[in-house]
Amino acid sequence: MTSVVIRAEALVKDYGSVRALRGVDLEVEHGEIFGFIGPNGAGKSTTIRLLLDLLRPTSGEVEVLGQNPAAGGPELRSRIGYLPGELAMSGNRTAREHLEYMVRLRGGSGANRLEPLAERFGVELDKQFRGLSKGNKQKVGVVQAFMHSPALLILDEPTSGLDPLLQREFLDLLLEAREAGATVFMSSHVLREVEEVAGRVAIIRSGEIVDVENVRVLRNRAGQHVEFKFGEVVSQEDFAGLSGLTDLEVTGHSLSAVLRGSPDGLLKAAARHEVVSWSASNLDLEELFMDFYRMPDET
Amino acid sequence: MFNETYPITAGVLHDQRRSLTVWGSAMAGITVMYVSIFPVMGGLDIEALVSSFPDALVEALGYNEIGTASGYISSTVFGLLAPIILAVFSIGVGSRLIAGTEEDGTLELELASPTSRRAIYVQRLGALWADIVLLVAVVSAVTWAMVVGLSLDVAFMNLVAASIGLGLLVLGFGTIALAVGAATGRRPVAIGVAAAITVVGFMFDAIGPTIDAGWMMAVSPFSWYMDNNPLSQGFDVVGTAMLAVLPLAVGAVGLIGYERRDLMV
Ligand SMILES: Nc1ncnc2c1ncn2[C@@H]1O[C@H](COP(=O)(O)OP(=O)(O)OP(=O)(O)O)[C@@H](O)[C@H]1O
Ligand SMILES: [Mg+2]
Repeated sequence: MTSVVIRAEALVKDYGSVRALRGVDLEVEHGEIFGFIGPNGAGKSTTIRLLLDLLRPTSGEVEVLGQNPAAGGPELRSRIGYLPGELAMSGNRTAREHLEYMVRLRGGSGANRLEPLAERFGVELDKQFRGLSKGNKQKVGVVQAFMHSPALLILDEPTSGLDPLLQREFLDLLLEAREAGATVFMSSHVLREVEEVAGRVAIIRSGEIVDVENVRVLRNRAGQHVEFKFGEVVSQEDFAGLSGLTDLEVTGHSLSAVLRGSPDGLLKAAARHEVVSWSASNLDLEELFMDFYRMPDET
Repeated sequence: MFNETYPITAGVLHDQRRSLTVWGSAMAGITVMYVSIFPVMGGLDIEALVSSFPDALVEALGYNEIGTASGYISSTVFGLLAPIILAVFSIGVGSRLIAGTEEDGTLELELASPTSRRAIYVQRLGALWADIVLLVAVVSAVTWAMVVGLSLDVAFMNLVAASIGLGLLVLGFGTIALAVGAATGRRPVAIGVAAAITVVGFMFDAIGPTIDAGWMMAVSPFSWYMDNNPLSQGFDVVGTAMLAVLPLAVGAVGLIGYERRDLMV
């Protein structure tokens, strides 16, 4: 088995005159949970639809599980579980009818996991699909994507509509799938949703990958917010020029700053005064991520 | 068994069970209503009435043989009501089965499943054809029951010939809608093209004979179906063949378009 599960090279996709992807390069490795993050209209769903052979590339190469999606056809798709970004299912069928239909389309694969998974997520199997709430519909989508234990899960904004408890359950399911050897490619608007489980993330904006990074590295880069209270009045100069320290604010007895990297210099400088209290909290990755969103469009 | 081998066709038919019951009942009702009037009209000497119409009008209405049972059933049920009503059904369903489900997104999971586009196309087309076979069978069976019950002079084999013609005609319009929808992904386009061909075909068949425009009848599916009055004359090989070729050819072209296109589910 190839160790690269998804490979895209200089992938370009036009919708008529609209260029949705401007040369996307991606490599997702076997067994990883890969986050695909970007704002609305960045090209996440477009990339995903190219992986599933719903769309054909304008130019560039794409390979899934070692095969071109069009050439791989049904056999390739039998090893993929897909959760669409906008799940639409006929309102007249019950959830059970929908899931049993998917089982039949997959030649019987997944029949034995239908009930257990549905129960785990509390899917209302015998209600008409149109009568389900948004979150309950999404659960049906989750079950059909995982049911046949696919080698590759392609999930387009999977947690949208799920309450925190079910998001938790969903993340557990993801980890179990990875444990069983599956690879996961999941998109989201926000890093927070994938931060906990993802190994690496790619950030896409306006049809271009602007960064591919390990989540831990991103976290380090995001840094910590530190605060000190001193027993005496301190001055800005005592802390100026320390490496990794930004947004420094010193007023009277207190100091607040953002620290990236080693805390050594800051602690030693602080120790020259009487420290009454101190705290350090991880900065929300979202703030770092927002910088990517705001980066000027250089096209 | 069928469920496993043709899950998509089976799924569509299952979804349609209620609407098919309604359409089937409506077709049966209309057939009963119209055929049962025929014996009553015998007393009104309808032929005398029709013969007072201008020839061109009689021709356009297809009322040449209105006085005979087969002529009457041709002019009403088989030549007018069933083709038009079933064409509406067929175009509606044909445009929905691929273009409609693509537009509303309900086709997405099916497309992402281990099913080829070809299988999706063929099985959905199969469901459309099954619908039409079923509804035409209702019209034919009810007509035959009335013919026997009222002792009308219609030959069984001629009814079979007319039913096959009717089925193929309607199937043609529905297949055009499905194929155009599959090739474009746009339901309104599918409905527009199929409806335009139906209406123009109908008008050519009606106007052609009155203005001596043979080419109009040559290209009109309605003429292929009705020109030789299958209910009184039986099978017309050439017309039937033309009617059979239309859906097959259009169906094949639609499939080629569908396999090549970006799908916008
Ligand atoms: N069918 C279409 N026709 C024309 N343009 C399209 C079509 N689908 C998407 N686009 C455009 O392509 C770009 C990428 O869209 P895409 O749906 O891939 O974004 P996304 O990252 O999935 O966004 P979201 O987070 O809102 O789902 C957008 O600019 C969008 O307007
Ligand atoms: Mg999207």
